[in-house]
Amino acid sequence: MRFTRHRGKVRADVDQVEVDVLEQLTGELLGIVEEPRVDADPLAALVGLSAEPVVPPDDPVLARLLPSAYRDDDAAAAEFRRYTDADLRARKRANAVAVRRSLPDGGGRLELDRDQCDQWLECLNDLRLALGTALGVTEDTDPEEYDEGHPARQALEVYGWLGWVQESLLSCVEPRVP
Amino acid sequence: MLAVHHEGKAVVSNGTREQMEADVARLHGKGLWATLQQD
Repeated sequence: MRFTRHRGKVRADVDQVEVDVLEQLTGELLGIVEEPRVDADPLAALVGLSAEPVVPPDDPVLARLLPSAYRDDDAAAAEFRRYTDADLRARKRANAVAVRRSLPDGGGRLELDRDQCDQWLECLNDLRLALGTALGVTEDTDPEEYDEGHPARQALEVYGWLGWVQESLLSCVEPRVP
Repeated sequence: MLAVHHEGKAVVSNGTREQMEADVARLHGKGLWATLQQD
């Protein structure tokens, strides 16, 4: 699937395998980034304040998706999380759901408006971060170190494919004028 | 952005704590690992 631009519309042809891969990965992402638990107090819930102090995730994948804002100040980092964790989770989940909804059943033509492009770009980036962290990808990672058919090689090829799709979409999106 | 490539980090914004926390939250939304510190 390669994104192209036609008369202001961004589109791509997606085959069944690609739909399956994206459905599986976004499904896993939604499983990792669980729904936020917001405060029972209506005003706190309205501004997306978390019910309890939010601790940094133990899971390295989740920790990469929801990073600490302060490196050396745990108290400040916890306070930051309390105000931002719910919004960030909700945003990542909404992006993943938007990608899933836009996928053509069984494969076919995909057409994205400007807002959907942003949601796709953010979600593709989350999928790459999640997969890259899980696989321990570094600059030196080379899928060809593994035999063809090896699970690690297949996963790294999916990782590479996500980057390729992301790049093709990015090249079709015009910057927003502030 | 070259500083990110060579040193692994770069300063992209300066301002009050409230402004910087808002910037960091926006960058986290884009999947960037932004942090803030007091100078």
